[in-house]
Amino acid sequence: MIKTDVIIIGGGSTGCGVARDLALRGIPHCLIEKGDFAAGATGACHGLLHSGARYVVNDSEAAAECISENMIMRKIGVKCVEQTGGLFVRLPGDSKRYRDMFLKSCEETGISTEVLSPSRALDLVPNLNPSLEEAITVPDCSIDPFRLCMLNITSSQRRGGKILTHNRVIDTIMEHGRCVGVKVQEESTAEIREIRGKIIINATGAWGNTVASLAGGTVPMTLSKGSLIVTNHRLTNMVINRLRPASDGDIIVPNEAVCLAGTTSIPVTDPDANDVEPAEVDIIATQACLMVPNFHSTRVIRTYAGVRPLLKADSGDDREISRSFRVIDHKNGMFSIMGGKLTTYRLMAEKICDSVMETLGLKTKCRTAELPLEGQEELSGYPLSKRLKTLENIVCECELVTADDVEKVAGKIGTRHIGDIQHRTRLGMGPCQGGFCTYRALGIMQEKGKMTPEESMYVLREFLQRRFKGIKPALWGDQLREEQLIESIYLGILGMRQEQ
Amino acid sequence: MSDLYDAVIVGGGMAGMMAAVTLVEQGKKVAVISKGDPVCCFSTGCIDVLAYGDDPLKGLGSLPDSHPYHLVGEGSVEKALALFRKTMSEGGMPYIGDVHANRKVLTSLGRWKTTCLVPETMEYADFDPDKYIHVISFYKMKDFYPQYITSRYANADYSVFDPGVITTAGIAEKFESRPFLDTFISWLQGLHIPEGRIAIPAVLGRSLVGDVYRQVSAGCDRKVFEIPTLPPSLPGLRLFAGLKNALLRKGVDLYWGRGIYSVEKLGNRIEAVTLANAGRTTRVEGKAFILAAGSFVSGGLQASMDAVTETVFDLPTYLPGTRDVWFKDDFFAPGHEIEKAGIRVDASFRPIETDIENLHVCGSILAFSEIMKNRCGHGMAIATGVAAAQACGGLI
Repeated sequence: MIKTDVIIIGGGSTGCGVARDLALRGIPHCLIEKGDFAAGATGACHGLLHSGARYVVNDSEAAAECISENMIMRKIGVKCVEQTGGLFVRLPGDSKRYRDMFLKSCEETGISTEVLSPSRALDLVPNLNPSLEEAITVPDCSIDPFRLCMLNITSSQRRGGKILTHNRVIDTIMEHGRCVGVKVQEESTAEIREIRGKIIINATGAWGNTVASLAGGTVPMTLSKGSLIVTNHRLTNMVINRLRPASDGDIIVPNEAVCLAGTTSIPVTDPDANDVEPAEVDIIATQACLMVPNFHSTRVIRTYAGVRPLLKADSGDDREISRSFRVIDHKNGMFSIMGGKLTTYRLMAEKICDSVMETLGLKTKCRTAELPLEGQEELSGYPLSKRLKTLENIVCECELVTADDVEKVAGKIGTRHIGDIQHRTRLGMGPCQGGFCTYRALGIMQEKGKMTPEESMYVLREFLQRRFKGIKPALWGDQLREEQLIESIYLGILGMRQEQ
Repeated sequence: MSDLYDAVIVGGGMAGMMAAVTLVEQGKKVAVISKGDPVCCFSTGCIDVLAYGDDPLKGLGSLPDSHPYHLVGEGSVEKALALFRKTMSEGGMPYIGDVHANRKVLTSLGRWKTTCLVPETMEYADFDPDKYIHVISFYKMKDFYPQYITSRYANADYSVFDPGVITTAGIAEKFESRPFLDTFISWLQGLHIPEGRIAIPAVLGRSLVGDVYRQVSAGCDRKVFEIPTLPPSLPGLRLFAGLKNALLRKGVDLYWGRGIYSVEKLGNRIEAVTLANAGRTTRVEGKAFILAAGSFVSGGLQASMDAVTETVFDLPTYLPGTRDVWFKDDFFAPGHEIEKAGIRVDASFRPIETDIENLHVCGSILAFSEIMKNRCGHGMAIATGVAAAQACGGLI
């Protein structure tokens, strides 16, 4: 049994942010995550550090939170934030009235803007649709959600926080109507353990009601699936937004070597509903083409979807729901945090930790906005070339990951799946989507005794199926060629079909 | 500047090269145009004919009526495979096996693949997990991990040799130097492997004649075999080099590394194609043309979000429905619908729904070939390549 003060359930940006916040305030805690870090909406988002401009017309509260957090993240997260800047692009036919409201709201909220002529906008982003009416600059950035979670966790680990990934909460321990702990089950061994704490924080995003209900609580939320597509390379070095009310496919974000385009917004009831429909891909690609015509001839390498946990509202359209957040005290020892954005994860953590401190009768102040994220000194920063320290033993040619990188990561906490290694090294994130390097990475893990051969076969099958799920909606053009090659490698040359 | 040929073959893969062999042996003047090295370089070098049953030729009957194999017929498939073997043997790279018997060869994942004819370096490669094998691995070689195999075998062991390089092609190059080969053989002898076969990833030289393989086998006095690795695999490269050399020997003109820039038609006939090159174009004129440009991977077919086009002559293509049905949800499910896409032909391999008279089509670009599902890629390429060439040769 583990005893601690605060149990955090959920290893997304919010949960990891809470772990860092508590660590900096000196509160013992234990974080439990059923998969890997950033496995839910955090890892399935745009990687956009909002300036708030997207929400400024309809949701000024969320916009104000975004711009203030945006400025904080630039300071504290130098190595996981790329200061790309963003543009809102007005195309022929887009409302001029909305544009005026947009500029006025940005000014009121404190989001700095500059109106650019088409030629100046094209100087900044040559791939833009040349028939644009104008563009407005905003302080958008791009952010690496996996890296963000890992850096937050570093602060926790350095101060003795307990981190259990691949552990699922299967029940709560209730005493006299209060929730005093949880039972968790380890994924591969199925071992069940008890963890006891004074306070339990439910930061499970889309799974919020699943966890709250274990302690008899509910959270008022609604789920909305958003799908995205990943391009083979960057089409823009700035975030591109369409200057109109939020709609499908109106954002393109540069992230590492690629661009992410999205999103859609489809109401769902299942937090695991992350299938991408070909029709969604068509919508996103069509809309992205309007802003960046080259998108049409660009290779799409995969798709993914996440489920947004939104605060419940009466309005019918999910896009009208506030992107703000709320802390819910279930009055039984459990707190839930609902809604919000990746951009405001730190603020969300601060608010819920303030509630925790009050309950515990403690007064230490939040310091997460002042101190830089720890662990950044080990990171190389963005340029691909810097990731490559030596030319030896590259196992992933697309993303330049070496055998040493894989070995180093394979030994660390919580890396049991090939996905865990991918998140930490970017192995398999390039055009072949792990087609070549996964065989190698699993081979290295066997060689180093990190995985049995039986496990590796299971992991390989599971990986190929999961990979295919993401790629299937985007199979045409060069990606279809690549896919048939990968199929012939695994099913033909390596003989995996015989497994069945 | 222009060259006139009896037959111009577009595509330098298995189908195109076997079509060229067929026509040149009929005394025709033949050219092969290829954008680049073909996808058989990515293959295991084995000739899959059909993965169903013990006798692949008997299995042909179980294929749907639309399958291109039926246009060839069992007897002619057998003859085409015989022509392939004769061609490879003449070049010193014999293929082993019986066209009436499938075999299961060991893969570098410790599984097996069903195939029919194999290069001599894989004669002893049968998947047989009850018998002892000794796997040789190379230090830090990035495309081979012996644990995948030894864990699957009841009785297996491995030893690691350090060749100083880590890529498949790099190690293969080293094996072509005498001192390296001698060092390796004496190391192998020093292992005193007690019994059974010795398995080595396919790195035993780049050359086609299997010289390195024969010396290693003689040196250790054991049955040795190669295990094909991830692309680019040496047995695939050797197969390509073997066929290409045969074409050169037989006097076929090769236009390699150049795409087709334009097609000239006169009435119902294709007159010539023009090849693009930096600074200069070449016009290649032919009495007849054979399209063997391959499927999607080779670039003979191209898929957009809602259509499939043939990239050289813009022939009408068969498309199995809209994009949402092209692929099944299960990666491992045999036979995604998209595999049926391609060019439909009549009994003499001429494309249907077009008025072109002097064009024949063969290989994986043919509709309904489903080569991944049926595991019939090289076999079907050889059979339809030879058959299309015969149909074409009769018209010249």
